[in-house]
Amino acid sequence: MKLQHFLGGLESLGPVSTETRVFVEEWEKRIFGIHTAMMALSSQLPLPATPSAFRTVWTWADLRKGAEAMNPFDYFKFRYYEKWLGGICGYFVANGYITEEELEARTAEYCADPDKPLPQDSATPAAGTTIDQRVERYLMEGDSPKRELDIAPAFKEGDAVQIRNVPSIEHTRLPGFLRNRSGVVETVYPGVYGYLTDTGTDGIGAPMPVYCVRFAVEDLWPGNTEPNVTLYADLYATYVATAA
Amino acid sequence: MTDRFQYPNDREARSAARAKALESLLIEKGIINATTVDTVLKVFETKMGPFNGAKIVARAWVDPAFKQRLVADAPAAIAEMTDLPEGMAGAEGEHMRAVANGEGVHNLVICTLCSCYPWPVLGLPPYWYKDPTFRSRAAREPRAVLKEFGLDVPSATEVKVWDSSAQIRWFVIPERPAGTEGMSESELAALVTPESMMGVAVANAA
Repeated sequence: MKLQHFLGGLESLGPVSTETRVFVEEWEKRIFGIHTAMMALSSQLPLPATPSAFRTVWTWADLRKGAEAMNPFDYFKFRYYEKWLGGICGYFVANGYITEEELEARTAEYCADPDKPLPQDSATPAAGTTIDQRVERYLMEGDSPKRELDIAPAFKEGDAVQIRNVPSIEHTRLPGFLRNRSGVVETVYPGVYGYLTDTGTDGIGAPMPVYCVRFAVEDLWPGNTEPNVTLYADLYATYVATAA
Repeated sequence: MTDRFQYPNDREARSAARAKALESLLIEKGIINATTVDTVLKVFETKMGPFNGAKIVARAWVDPAFKQRLVADAPAAIAEMTDLPEGMAGAEGEHMRAVANGEGVHNLVICTLCSCYPWPVLGLPPYWYKDPTFRSRAAREPRAVLKEFGLDVPSATEVKVWDSSAQIRWFVIPERPAGTEGMSESELAALVTPESMMGVAVANAA
């Protein structure tokens, strides 16, 4: 089991951060921009081809899988964009775009001279859609997971349901603290929704209904929560079963 | 959490160099262009950001029928507005829903598994939202967490916590502060913070 799948409800962590900045270091903006460009250039999207040499798939699921695979102490040790930096560098090495050696050598160059400028583009742009145009188009249009398929939802609003304890291995969208718990369907979202990757025995990927399920926190953490609180979670249909 | 762990003295310098090294290699290899990262960042300065959410909330404050439509069908209501940039149903905003604070109800949006956030209307998530401690604690003890943000929610007020684990990106319509009756929509928008639109703060008259 992965601690990252079971964060909700974890105790004794001390005070929360009230840091309102999005980026606390300038370099964090760069890794965010690289990640977003990778998502936009990812090969599964129905967007116009560009001259980019990026030929593989990179989605939120890849970033999340990396974060979920981390040593849980490291997960708490490293700041949000430090985790991104590690995961994204690892992806480019693992997929053969760069080598660890050239990344290390270039890092040493910028350590020695942080102000050394970035290189210019190596080739003059070809005709057609540019990399930046595709990136902007991705941001403006998004990548809706909603699919037009006729799959009837098994539950309706007000139905009592029990959350399954599916065997999640690499990646899940089922928060651990909801496993085996009982709730009530608050909303049946219209349509069906795929997920960015197939999570295997965890069960998401193919289009399916999604429910908003309402939970009484006293059922989630008996005797160990606060009064007059209700928790709602959006859950893929495969995680939701008939109440026992 | 930082005090619990040891970090090298060159922690930030090394990350900065590594990020720059990665960007420079990606440019050289033709994966991205030299302008690409700045292109992404510019979108979040000009098109996708909390300045949009603030306008939407201010409209909801002055137009109760619009507020009803926003709660019933956020994308459709947002699409009615003519003074927002393009991309309001773009990345991380394909399926948004709004929940309204009101008499006896306070809403809080969280993401216990990662950091799902409605990009078109709120931009990128602040550090507090991404922090594992917040994500862990806000599910079980939201009132205690809100107190640490300086917000005391009366016990008679129900706290509704929305965990974003599927396709919906949530945001909160805070209550219009008292004493703002004479304000214009743009003056009202200036009172709306990202924190108030996620529920760790309320909107206050300036």
